[in-house]
Amino acid sequence: MTWLAWRQHRTHAIVGAAALAALAVLLLITGLQMASQYHSAIAACTAAHRCGNLASTLFLGSHAVGFLVIMTLGVPALLGVFWGAPLVAQELETGTSQFAWMQTITRKHWLTVKAGWILLAAAAWAGAVSALVTWWSGPDNALQLDAFKPGRFDITGIVPVGYALFATALGIAAGAVTRRTVPALAVTLAGFIAARFMITELVRPHYMTAITTTGTSPQVPPGSWQLAQGMIGPGGKVLPTDGSTCTSGCVPHGYRAFITYQPASRYWAFQGIETALFVVLAAALIAVTAIVVLRRDA
Amino acid sequence: MTPVIETRRLSKRYRGVTALSDCTITVPEGRIAALIGPNGAGKTTLLRLLSGLAKPGSGEVAVLGGTPRQDPAFLADVGFLAQDIPLYRRFTAADHIAIGGHLNPRWDAASARQRLTSLGIPLGQAVGTLSGGQRAQVALALTLAKRPRVLLLDEPVAALDPLARRQFLAILAEAVARGGLTVVLSSHLVTDLERTCDHLILLASSRVQLCGDIDTVLAEHQVLVGPRKDTTAIEKAHTLVQATHTPRQATLLIRRNGPVIDPAFQATDVGLEELVLAYMGQDATIPALGHLTAAGDDQ
Repeated sequence: MTWLAWRQHRTHAIVGAAALAALAVLLLITGLQMASQYHSAIAACTAAHRCGNLASTLFLGSHAVGFLVIMTLGVPALLGVFWGAPLVAQELETGTSQFAWMQTITRKHWLTVKAGWILLAAAAWAGAVSALVTWWSGPDNALQLDAFKPGRFDITGIVPVGYALFATALGIAAGAVTRRTVPALAVTLAGFIAARFMITELVRPHYMTAITTTGTSPQVPPGSWQLAQGMIGPGGKVLPTDGSTCTSGCVPHGYRAFITYQPASRYWAFQGIETALFVVLAAALIAVTAIVVLRRDA
Repeated sequence: MTPVIETRRLSKRYRGVTALSDCTITVPEGRIAALIGPNGAGKTTLLRLLSGLAKPGSGEVAVLGGTPRQDPAFLADVGFLAQDIPLYRRFTAADHIAIGGHLNPRWDAASARQRLTSLGIPLGQAVGTLSGGQRAQVALALTLAKRPRVLLLDEPVAALDPLARRQFLAILAEAVARGGLTVVLSSHLVTDLERTCDHLILLASSRVQLCGDIDTVLAEHQVLVGPRKDTTAIEKAHTLVQATHTPRQATLLIRRNGPVIDPAFQATDVGLEELVLAYMGQDATIPALGHLTAAGDDQ
């Protein structure tokens, strides 16, 4: 069965490997350039004792490559759409599932091998892209201290692997349920974007209790992910952040500035929690697929 | 000896529409059973239930002594060819033969290759680019290469030209003659099947009309031709399948429950095609469809 899975998906594998190789070459070259640019800038500013505003004056690399790196946010969605969604849907749609299921192989075995390899490939592919992006972003993260910020957090570390597993599993499940490739693609894309958006916006800030610091002019430690800031009154009343209502006289009335944040030290804990969350969602989707494939008529 | 295929009160509905109802059939070992019925009679549903691709709504189905199931031991013994001949369009015939070799325990790649070569079908060409008839031959060769004990074929000859059709049926008969193989073959081409098949399952309107050995079934039926008169006595003694009347003459096709003793009627034997058409015509919902025109939609 592994042989059939390979025979069916070797084009995917070749295209995927070629794209990954191209990305690797580009990121290695520009990444090395950025690293040397960063180190020479640090050396120069340290010698001149003027490193304070390096983050705002130094721009590493090129906008085009930086944009491409941000675009790797879409890698899991691509994997879900091109690898996940057609996996079962295409066979059901063209009827080849009837051919496969009447060979001496149970549907369970068929699904395990097909889904297993594609999930493994998606995880490996997304993991490789993430490793490249993480390494490439090193100097820039050191400069900007933004690795924890949404957008950067999502393309580095281990979360892309979780997203890729989820997107691929979503594609497989959508295909098994809709039995058609095109609706499965649409469901996968919409479902993935919705899930990612909701978890980033609504769930991620609460993985661990955020720290709130107050004072006349509170500061967050470098590299923190800032969630909220504003003025808070004695009764816990929060003023709008634009400051218009508090140009004068807030502090005398007991108002203090506050900032709520997640410290940089929690970066890996958050990476782990978010990855685990998406892996659990992926597992649930694979369970749904298995039930549909095993129970429903061919 | 237990029959290879046995169903009892098998029913299946798809989205509220009855596809098969109260279906009870048996097929003994070594038979080539013709599954005949008009379009939408439930032939495909019955074959899918026997293969295990679909699960029954109610009733029982046993193939080779067990319920069709997701079990390599069962799957190895059952070959199924779906009506729309599903193959991987971008793969070649040789690819398919290789796939079969990887997925089946007793795979006869040599015979499949030899059959396709002798038919002049290119092994190295994507099956999606082959003609419908050639694709059907590839699919048939693959189904036979699996060396199943039960072969379920849904309209296997529909895409073949008359010569290929006859050759295919001859190959089938030969395979059955070697022993250990039972075939159920759906079609609405009665003349082709008459030559090859020895068992009949007649479906109409989701129900089994007839099931049994073809010779026995034919012997049970008779055509009575006689004057147009009151036939109540005959209808009471026998089962009237079909009556056709001209102003002076009545033609009755009956299922006998004993000898016909009315001397006014002349009894003759019935042919398979005539019998099949009569049973199909029974279910024609349009009254204008007489017994001869009822089967006209077959081709």
